[in-house]
Amino acid sequence: MSYLLNRLFSMVLTLFLISAITFAVTNILPGDVAMMIMGTQSNPEALAGLRESLGLNDPLLVQYGRWIGGMLTGDWGTSLVFKEPIAPLLLQKMTASGLLVLFSMTIALTCAIPLGVWAAVHANRWQDTAASSTAMLGVSLPDFFWGIMLILLFARGLGWLPSSGFVDPADDFGGAVRHALLPSLALGLGLMAHLTRMTRATMTGILNQEFIRVARAKGLNESTVVWRYGLANAVGPVMTVAGLQIGYLFGSIIVIESLFNYTGMGWLTYQALLNRDIPLIQASVFVIAAVVMLSNLIVDLLYAVVDPRIRLS
Amino acid sequence: MATDQTPLVSIDKLRVEFRGEDGPIVGVEDVSFTIAPGETVCVVGESGSGKSVTSLSLMRLVEFGGGKITGGRLSFSLNGKQIDLAQTGSETMQAIRGDEIGMIFQEPMTSLNPVFTVERQMTDGLRVHRGMSRSQARERALELLRQVRIPEPERRLGQYPHELSGGMRQRVMIAMAMACEPRLLIADEPTTALDVTIQAEILALIDRLKRDTGMAVLFITHDMAVVAQMADRVVVMYRGRLVEEGPVERIFAAPQEAYTRKLLAAVPRLGEMRGKPAPEPMRLVGEEPARAAPPPADAVPDPLLQVSNLTTRYPVKGGLFRRTVANVHAVEDVSFEIGRGQTLALVGESGCGKSSCGRSILRLSEPTSGEILLDRTDIRALSARDLRRRAWRDMQMVFQDPFASLNPYMRLRDQVAEPIRNYRIETGGGVEDRVADLFDRVELPRAFMSRFPHELSGGQRQRVAIARALAVNPKLIIADEAVSALDVSVQAQVLNLMMELQAELGVSYLFISHDMAVVERVAHRVGVMYLGRLVEIGTRQQVFENPQHSYTKSLLSAVPVADPTQRTIREDLKFRPIPSPVFPLDHTPAPSVYDAIAPGHRVLRGDAGLGAD
Repeated sequence: MSYLLNRLFSMVLTLFLISAITFAVTNILPGDVAMMIMGTQSNPEALAGLRESLGLNDPLLVQYGRWIGGMLTGDWGTSLVFKEPIAPLLLQKMTASGLLVLFSMTIALTCAIPLGVWAAVHANRWQDTAASSTAMLGVSLPDFFWGIMLILLFARGLGWLPSSGFVDPADDFGGAVRHALLPSLALGLGLMAHLTRMTRATMTGILNQEFIRVARAKGLNESTVVWRYGLANAVGPVMTVAGLQIGYLFGSIIVIESLFNYTGMGWLTYQALLNRDIPLIQASVFVIAAVVMLSNLIVDLLYAVVDPRIRLS
Repeated sequence: MATDQTPLVSIDKLRVEFRGEDGPIVGVEDVSFTIAPGETVCVVGESGSGKSVTSLSLMRLVEFGGGKITGGRLSFSLNGKQIDLAQTGSETMQAIRGDEIGMIFQEPMTSLNPVFTVERQMTDGLRVHRGMSRSQARERALELLRQVRIPEPERRLGQYPHELSGGMRQRVMIAMAMACEPRLLIADEPTTALDVTIQAEILALIDRLKRDTGMAVLFITHDMAVVAQMADRVVVMYRGRLVEEGPVERIFAAPQEAYTRKLLAAVPRLGEMRGKPAPEPMRLVGEEPARAAPPPADAVPDPLLQVSNLTTRYPVKGGLFRRTVANVHAVEDVSFEIGRGQTLALVGESGCGKSSCGRSILRLSEPTSGEILLDRTDIRALSARDLRRRAWRDMQMVFQDPFASLNPYMRLRDQVAEPIRNYRIETGGGVEDRVADLFDRVELPRAFMSRFPHELSGGQRQRVAIARALAVNPKLIIADEAVSALDVSVQAQVLNLMMELQAELGVSYLFISHDMAVVERVAHRVGVMYLGRLVEIGTRQQVFENPQHSYTKSLLSAVPVADPTQRTIREDLKFRPIPSPVFPLDHTPAPSVYDAIAPGHRVLRGDAGLGAD
């Protein structure tokens, strides 16, 4: 319990720092909110009036206080581009991206774990070389390359899946899955490569441990030894790396969602940046940071479940 | 002893090869011996002798480590028939492993799966081999835990390995290996990683289980004292070959082969120094005797180091702001002196504070209170700069693991030269000459100066570590388990080197060790530590020949003696587990009060919160 409090406390501290940095950086950028609303050709007096009414002439610290106060009380402001309240907009887009993260993580883990274990069991033989080279290929090529290849193959070539767009799962679940599949695959391939290498490295270490030899000496068959005795010890480390990858995923999502015209968090952030939608940029960065930290906290809490040696007290 | 029956196992001309970068490497060659039912055969040898490879071949586990049996027969009598384990298919081998042959390994800390409960690990073998249900297997596991005398067996089943002590884990391992009542138990260095009192208990346990069940035991060890206590017959191995084989009494009384004689000579035997006033060099057969022996202890020693009321506590952090919530009382009110040119040995079991004591004297761990005087210089009063400039020039340390304490990326010349340059002992071309002198001093060829640590053997590396310590002409060398990781013959050589250096250079040693037989050989004075306290201190003769504190007595009674005619390993040895040295912040321990038994011989009064009676 005290561990959880400790973590939450440090999370709040980090979020506070992130909010301050984001706020400061967006204020250094040329052109302020009033300019974005009225346009560059606007009447200077009207602009000054709007600045005054928006409180943009107040000291930066006062503005920051007002903004963070709004964030904390649920008043996240209105997007300048979409002319909508930011909070419900972000929630909707986060759900869309959450689907991508979930899918790509599932795809990556279901492929990476067997492949990594297989490579570790056959360490330094041709199977290992084959698996490692494949993983290396995945790591070295950027996500958008896979995205383009997937569009060419499955959308243009075979015509099995749509090449772009987003469908809300609440409206049409099947459609949502079909639209999410290709971007998830594009994201998942790079992720899978990382996780395969990680699983292989972890399992190679574990398979050389004495307790594996003891398990064999007990007369357990090889698949029990590897898949139960061995893998149970690899779950924790692999899970931790997978958790850290969620942060990278949100980076990749900006490119992939734009490529697939999938209107999720990444697409939204890109639009916000492109149009200098300052309130939206601030809120998006804040939310992405919070989600990444929260998912890592959950992973760390799960670690205690899979590894009894970790005491979270 | 039942040597005239049909053997349970007969190994005939076993040959095992390992994959190497330049073709196969022979691990074991032309090894033949038998094990009769109910017999304990000890395979003894130094590292690289092939003793573990032989036992792993019997289980056919050697293949998982990159080895291959390329010749010979491994006959095993199964259901009245003789089968060749070397030719047996993997399914039959799985049926034999854990059922007909059980195995215990060296490291109880790593041989249990950390993420499974004791119950799961104890029962899976039973369910595979005996087809037991979950509740039947649980019953059997409980019975086994009682058989190996584990307290509160019901609670243990639900625990994870990290919740058990080292001795307890090894008991679980033994219980696990015994689960299906194997006819052969292979024990590969089962007590090497354990403290001496726990070793005595585990050896007694294996011996009792053997007598109760009539199983045969193949016992792999490097320790001749353990061999003397356990074996019916002994197989001596060296570099992958069998050197000599025979009944234990014969091997110890009349070894036939030169290597066996050399091995036995190098083993210190507790009690053999009785009545001798000064330390003596180790015996080495076939090599020139040590050049010089240390002088006897002075009646009134001229103290080089005076330690008074030394206390070192480590904080235990916890809570939201990482505050100190408790203290580990690592060293508690310890006082002693070391005379010039003399050796004080600190002995005790793991966690007793002997290493912390050595580190505190160098202020590598900052003491909490107390006084340390080196040549009348107050070490604790020195600034960080003076500590580095003056104190560490006079005191040097040699650590247990020479591979970890040498930098793998630096040539040995540069590593030994480093302190010479730092302390400006020599400059320019003089440095090279000094390094060469030091290599001569520790009897290493000068050609080794341009080598890297991985190109040397363990003993050679430890010589480099000693050369490096000697580089600044220290007055005191703190040797923390400096020979514990070495093979016995190498250990003897390094110990002799240390004693020669003492006789010639007048250097003093604080010799921290868990090995009572070695200490008896090298020390002028001996301090026994328990739970952070010095419970007894005196000359070697006083402590070894007239031990007064109950802990000293029980420690001495647990040491196996390298003499098969003196079997001291008994089931009735009962050692108390060492209590925790962690105390709440407001705990104020009682000061250490000593009774003087004789001049220089002090014994801690009462138990002072030690829990010993």
